[in-house]
Amino acid sequence: MIEIIATAESVEQAKALVATDVDTLYIGEDAFGLRLPKSFSRNEITEIIKIAHEQNKQVSVAVNAIMHNDRIKTVVPYLQFLQEVGADSVTIGDPGVIHLLQTHGINLPFIYDAQTLVTSAKHINFWAKRGAVGAVLAREIMYEELKSIGTKVTVPVEVQVYGATCIHHSKRPLVENYYNYTKEHKPNTNALYISEPKKPETHYSIYEDINGTHVFNTNDINLFPHLDKLVEIGLTRWKLDGVFTRGKDYVEIARLFAKAKQMLLDDKWTQEQMEQLNEQLMQHHPKERTLDEGFFLKDPSEVQ
Amino acid sequence: MKTMTKKPEILAPAGTLEKLKIAIRYGADAVYIGGNRFGLRSRAGNFSYDEMKEGVDFAKKHHAKVYVAANMVTHEGDEEGAGEFFRTLRDIGINAVIVSDPALIEICAIEAEGLPIHLSTQASATNYETLNFWQQEGLERVVLAREVSMEEIKEIRQNTDVEIEAFIHGAMCISYSGRCTLSNHMSNRDANRGGCSQSCRWKYDLFEIPRPGEQTSVLAGDPVEDFSMSAVDMSMIRHIPDLVENGVDSLKIEGRMKSIHYVSTVSNVYRKAIDTYCRDPENYIFKQEWENELWKVAQRELASGFYYGTPTENEQLFGKRRKIPAYAFVGQVLEYNAETQIATIQQRNNFGVGDVVEFYGPGFTHTYQTIEQLWDEEDVPIERAPKAMMIVKMKVNTPVKPFDIMRKRK
Ligand code: SF4
Repeated sequence: MIEIIATAESVEQAKALVATDVDTLYIGEDAFGLRLPKSFSRNEITEIIKIAHEQNKQVSVAVNAIMHNDRIKTVVPYLQFLQEVGADSVTIGDPGVIHLLQTHGINLPFIYDAQTLVTSAKHINFWAKRGAVGAVLAREIMYEELKSIGTKVTVPVEVQVYGATCIHHSKRPLVENYYNYTKEHKPNTNALYISEPKKPETHYSIYEDINGTHVFNTNDINLFPHLDKLVEIGLTRWKLDGVFTRGKDYVEIARLFAKAKQMLLDDKWTQEQMEQLNEQLMQHHPKERTLDEGFFLKDPSEVQ
Repeated sequence: MKTMTKKPEILAPAGTLEKLKIAIRYGADAVYIGGNRFGLRSRAGNFSYDEMKEGVDFAKKHHAKVYVAANMVTHEGDEEGAGEFFRTLRDIGINAVIVSDPALIEICAIEAEGLPIHLSTQASATNYETLNFWQQEGLERVVLAREVSMEEIKEIRQNTDVEIEAFIHGAMCISYSGRCTLSNHMSNRDANRGGCSQSCRWKYDLFEIPRPGEQTSVLAGDPVEDFSMSAVDMSMIRHIPDLVENGVDSLKIEGRMKSIHYVSTVSNVYRKAIDTYCRDPENYIFKQEWENELWKVAQRELASGFYYGTPTENEQLFGKRRKIPAYAFVGQVLEYNAETQIATIQQRNNFGVGDVVEFYGPGFTHTYQTIEQLWDEEDVPIERAPKAMMIVKMKVNTPVKPFDIMRKRK
């Protein structure tokens, strides 16, 4: 069983994604979910769930924000709404939300997702014992570690195989503060980048929303060339993140992953095929953004 | 007359045994230290089990507590040996461990039963339901995220009875704690395992890419200022009443890497302010001299973090920094003879005749003088005390006491 989970940026795109053989759509609203391509209204969420279910696909909703009191007060009605409209699962990173699910008897399977903090099998199993049906792994995990995690976890884990990686989440409005200080005109765009001192080739995306400021790694992740290795170690829930890859290109990339999945399942995956499809993937990846395999190929001893 | 029924604990950092003792002498009710493993400060002085034991004994004698920070976010295999580590801590008499990683929490709860657990700020606890969750898991205390406001603390207090600890002083992570891997990606150093390279303090170029291949720096030409995420440090000295009234149980000072000078000064100031407030809350007034004192050991400018609103550009570190007066810790009083008015002093930094120095000590005592006469251990008059840790004698104008610290403006 391989599951492909993909974010969606519109009802239209959700339809297109469902048609590509993606298994699960990942959506939500900014007040409760982190770094989504689009903050959907409740009507849109309802509609997307309907569309997905008609095609026997699932919808997982992001409730993985770090909640302050104001949100923790409004999250129960939101969870009840999600239960009512038939969301198949939610991601949660704040233990307070797990507490509320349980104390309010809300029947929604949850996937533990505390982003950078989810780094070991034992950690994941802790949440599994408290009801989690899955977990989302941090992006900073290396192949050797993934291998070990795969053999020890008691619930399936998600690995990000494509898209941007958040590497810094601050509650401070860092961009706004900067422009307020310089009194320069703030460009009317969310497509801002920063580069490291003396490394002008780097381009870390940075933007703000109601959850604060988010900085993304200079390279987006692409594990397309390594999917067979993931299958080998039993990590077969693959997430695609479209926060910076928009429209049809993103749908095409999802289609390539769905195709890869089918070939892997049919035992038809070859190096040549992989290279050819990966080539196509790069064609659809935004030209101003670069790709690499993230921490996948690093040696655990490299990172101290 | 109103009196405070419950004083909050002052919790100070201690990178070494010497700092632990100083922090407690200078008013800390509790200190937090690091063990040889599972901590986040691989470069801070860490305690061996023997040193912990000595620290615990010292603390007990002074009715103080010792906590051990084990707030690493573990990867596969890192948790090995944690059970034994926690058991040893418990048996040594450590009062609690500060942990954020659920893997370590579970090991501690199962394998070292009876050792209280505090949830580290690394877990970014920001609402009362999270606190209730951890209380139900058996934790004794939760350290709040630094992003929580005073209004939120008030509400949290009304909705949970687990102990609350909040940061009141020191440097801050720019991100939600634990939610930053800049270091991992930029320097191959794992921020959540003690390797943070402080990338948030760097200077960055900020730009757009209007068309592929066309990077346009929005700072191009004559940048007014580089982009940086860096921010000022925190000080809550002006807001002691709010912290006490809203029921914060423990007030935490940041800085296990900081000096004796820092630890003694900051503990001393907060001790004084809290005692003053709790003795007579209605007639309490904030004293500027407390803040001035904190300035003497400040590394950056000070502000109140997220307690009274989201930090603006004024709390970021842009532009020219205000000059911070730098003071050096030059000596520690070992003995004082009231008859001769001679103090015996252990040298910590070069000083000599003619220097203007300040003595401060536990209980917020302060005296100033110009050094007039100085002798070495053999009573031979000397002009300067240049040798590290040398013992000198000095004539003082006002009485001092053992453990008083002598500082000098650089
Ligand atoms: S780089 Fe800055 S924000 Fe990130 S972990 Fe280090 S101190 Fe915190």
